[in-house]
Amino acid sequence: MSQAVKARKAALPEKQSPGKLALTVLFAVISVAWMMPIIIVLYNSFKENGFVNANVFALPNRESFVGLNNYVNGITFGNYPFYNSAGYSVYITIVSTGLILLCTSMAAWYISRVNDLFSRIVYYLCVFSMVVPFQMVMFTLANTARELHLDTPWTIPVVYLGFGAGLAVFMFVGFVKSIPIDIEEAAAIDGCSPMRTFFSVVLPMMKPTLISVGVLEIMWVWNDYLLPYLVLDQTKYKTIPIHIQYLQGSYGRVDLGATMALIILSLIPIIVFYLSCQKHIIKGVAAGAVKG
Amino acid sequence: MRKLFAVLLAAAMLLSMMSFASAEGEGKVYYLNFKPEADQAWQALAQQYQALTGVEVKVLTAASGSYSTTLTSEMDKKDAAPTLFQIGNAEGVATWADYALPLDGTELMQEMTTEDFNLKNAAGQTVAVGYCYEAYGIITNKALLEKAGYSVADITNFESLKKVADDIHARAAELGFDAFTSAGLDGSSSWRFSGHLTNMPLFYEFRDDGVTEQPATVKGSYLNAYKNIWDLYITDSAADAKKLSGYTGADAEKDFYDGKAVFFQNGTWEYADLTGKYGMNPDDLCMLPIYCGVEGEENAALCAGTENCWAVNAKASEADQKATLDFLKWVVTSEEGTQMMAEQFGPIPFKAAKASSNVFFNDATEMLNAGKYVVTWAFNYTPDVDNWRAGIVSALEQYSAGAADWGEVEYAFVDGWATAYANTH
Amino acid sequence: MTKKKRSAGAVTSPLIRRPIQRRFAIFLLPTFVCFCIGFLWPFLQGLYLSLNKFTTTSNAEWVGFGNYVKAWNDPGFRAAFGYTARVAVVSLVLINVLAFFVAYALTREIRGSSLFRGVFFVPNLIGGIVLGYIWKTIIDSVLPVSMSIQAEYGFWGLIVVMCWQQVGYMMIIYIAGLQAVPEDMLEAARIDGANGWKTLWYITLPNVMPSITICTFLSLTNGFKLYDQNLVLTNGAPVRRGIGATEMLALNIAKTFSTANQRGVAQAKAVLFFILVTTIALIQLWATRRKEVQQ
Repeated sequence: MSQAVKARKAALPEKQSPGKLALTVLFAVISVAWMMPIIIVLYNSFKENGFVNANVFALPNRESFVGLNNYVNGITFGNYPFYNSAGYSVYITIVSTGLILLCTSMAAWYISRVNDLFSRIVYYLCVFSMVVPFQMVMFTLANTARELHLDTPWTIPVVYLGFGAGLAVFMFVGFVKSIPIDIEEAAAIDGCSPMRTFFSVVLPMMKPTLISVGVLEIMWVWNDYLLPYLVLDQTKYKTIPIHIQYLQGSYGRVDLGATMALIILSLIPIIVFYLSCQKHIIKGVAAGAVKG
Repeated sequence: MRKLFAVLLAAAMLLSMMSFASAEGEGKVYYLNFKPEADQAWQALAQQYQALTGVEVKVLTAASGSYSTTLTSEMDKKDAAPTLFQIGNAEGVATWADYALPLDGTELMQEMTTEDFNLKNAAGQTVAVGYCYEAYGIITNKALLEKAGYSVADITNFESLKKVADDIHARAAELGFDAFTSAGLDGSSSWRFSGHLTNMPLFYEFRDDGVTEQPATVKGSYLNAYKNIWDLYITDSAADAKKLSGYTGADAEKDFYDGKAVFFQNGTWEYADLTGKYGMNPDDLCMLPIYCGVEGEENAALCAGTENCWAVNAKASEADQKATLDFLKWVVTSEEGTQMMAEQFGPIPFKAAKASSNVFFNDATEMLNAGKYVVTWAFNYTPDVDNWRAGIVSALEQYSAGAADWGEVEYAFVDGWATAYANTH
Repeated sequence: MTKKKRSAGAVTSPLIRRPIQRRFAIFLLPTFVCFCIGFLWPFLQGLYLSLNKFTTTSNAEWVGFGNYVKAWNDPGFRAAFGYTARVAVVSLVLINVLAFFVAYALTREIRGSSLFRGVFFVPNLIGGIVLGYIWKTIIDSVLPVSMSIQAEYGFWGLIVVMCWQQVGYMMIIYIAGLQAVPEDMLEAARIDGANGWKTLWYITLPNVMPSITICTFLSLTNGFKLYDQNLVLTNGAPVRRGIGATEMLALNIAKTFSTANQRGVAQAKAVLFFILVTTIALIQLWATRRKEVQQ
């Protein structure tokens, strides 16, 4: 891209053509509509339960406004402390994602560089695993996890790595295939061990894919309900989605106000995460995915 | 070769992890509880018992809508499966037949005042004991009824109910309240109609035909009565019949405690919230039987039964089974246990039961004393409960919105039953 | 830009291959072992269970292919097949067209475009069930009758929610693709006097083909596996003559799992479903990969 083109692009936003201005206005309108469902959840979290479904669009008014009551109710509900659930959720999400990224990127490098029959079989098994509905393996998976004593928050990342390996390996292999082999060859000639080559040469190049896979895995683990519900020992460990599910009584009775409040609380870490690495995410998802 | 060796080594490691020693000796109790509302009370009671006797009691409460998944998954735990779980109906008995220990002759059963609510297996053995019972009908706000110029005594059958309801509905604007609360078909409310209200045609049909076990087919001979009462619910209420799936259980409850409606079809379990959380005066409340236009229904009492029955795991060790039965006996005989049961479940069918202050139960007892007949929970025979009910809900919703005729409801009721039965047998 | 991509067989060389192969236990083994625990072994057990009648996995009774026959004879399952295909195809097209044009517009240096990208991206950070409830309420309140009465409304409601959740992620992928289109090719086209549409069709589209591959793959598998939104929006209703008009395969399978004595049939349905999705996904990958330009 020439300097002139760059300069022209940098200058553009200053004097927008009417067409572009119209686009800005159009997107501003769409953006508001796009955020609407989330905004509705936010202000309903301040309404008393009975007023939530009665008119979900109505803003809180003097009659329906309950301040932070829903938040207090949601947090203090039941005999399981919410901060425990939140702590386990954060821990499981971070460790599982970290483990998945580390192990599958190494596996993907092995698969594409060694490329023998065994690694090709593993690769295709991974691709297949992406399309298996969770229900098909839920009971057998829970059973296997239990027999291997993987039913604690400290060990469940192993299960996540196993069940989530498919997508991650698929995307990493796609990326590794596209990076030129010359650099690694040069490193090998310089006497680098495979470990060193991987961590100092290959892994840094993988950054965009690490981010795009990371985003997918974080979203999955953070919001996942059924897998931790079946695998974890429920008398001791809960996560946020499980905690929210327990707000529902038998016969579908549910405190909607408190549910909305907990949903907002569970969104905060995600939003913080997104805002703090917005740039990397947008770039990363894009670059990583295209290569895949 | 190295690779193969490594894989085998890893596999061997895993296998060695799988074989772990299991502790034998003292029996322990593991209760899989079905009611999220009662979780805290059970946990507290378990701790008391443990402190008292030293026997380990673990209570796990399944999340809403996940009971059957949880039970399936937990029962797979060879050494740590629940020793005590719940069976709600005939379908549950059929599914868990291999796991339900016959309880006849146990000390627990000797404490019972009635066996009406127990469930029996194909061999006629009692495999699940109903530990509480509930009644439902039309909860009525007597104060509002009087404001409209009527009294409870005016309502003795469907005809008189309709007359009163139609009149209140016609004068709704002037009175400031309507006859019925919303007949919501949202998941938190639809079971009142697909489960509890369908009991009316099922009960009368089974009574006529002398049905005493789960039938493969039903005829729907009383579906016209079902139509009567449903039409009344959706006509004489302020709710938009075209959008019933948008009304929740909480909406109907709010209609009622806000004084916006006189009649509210629900059960004894509503009492605590209505008088406690929402501060209604117990003297203003009573429960009427559901009248739907069946011959002789003037003599009907409330619909009484239960979906809460304890079953003991037949595959648990003998020590665990004994510990479990001992625990249950303590629950229904001890001061702490009966107190908790009375608070959480109302009256229980055991000799040492504490009295309940729930006026709806008093209504139920009064009607029985007056010689009226109990409408038992015939819907406990429903095959493939969730799917059968889902069919009814969808048909009711379409019918109410004018998108389908009553035939759709008949199909869901009659053909739906046959399909559900065939699928599960 | 002009670097030649090696063919698939040449992504390695003996020089680096051997040393890596010797580190099998470090690189591949941990993932493979976990994959066996978390997927392969449960999956094989699942296959075995599809040939059994069972209450719990340890209490199974062999019935051979009876479950498959039952699964295929279930009219609800077959209806769900057709409906799922329709949802998958329509959502595939709409999500990708919308995402592409949003990406196209947002790469044209309009004011606030980075904010808009963020806004479009946020919905896919949030789980399905939660916002499904709000969406159901919103959609039902603007329609004359609810989605669970009019199957067509249910269909389009589902499509709207799917677009809302997925357009953002796909948009980002397309933005990357668009930014990678060589500027000199676009310049050349402009000089040759090609109009906007021609440039888009002959230059831009072929160059974003890798993005299209990945996006269509993701949205197609998402469409076929869709469960949460289907459950919350209509739960399969309206039911006509016993068949849920808006019931997708995953929901049909989940419902079968919750039916007594039907778990083996549900397992068989899941296997059939798995075979279907795998076949379609492979065909789609093969078809779009063929069209990718070699850079």
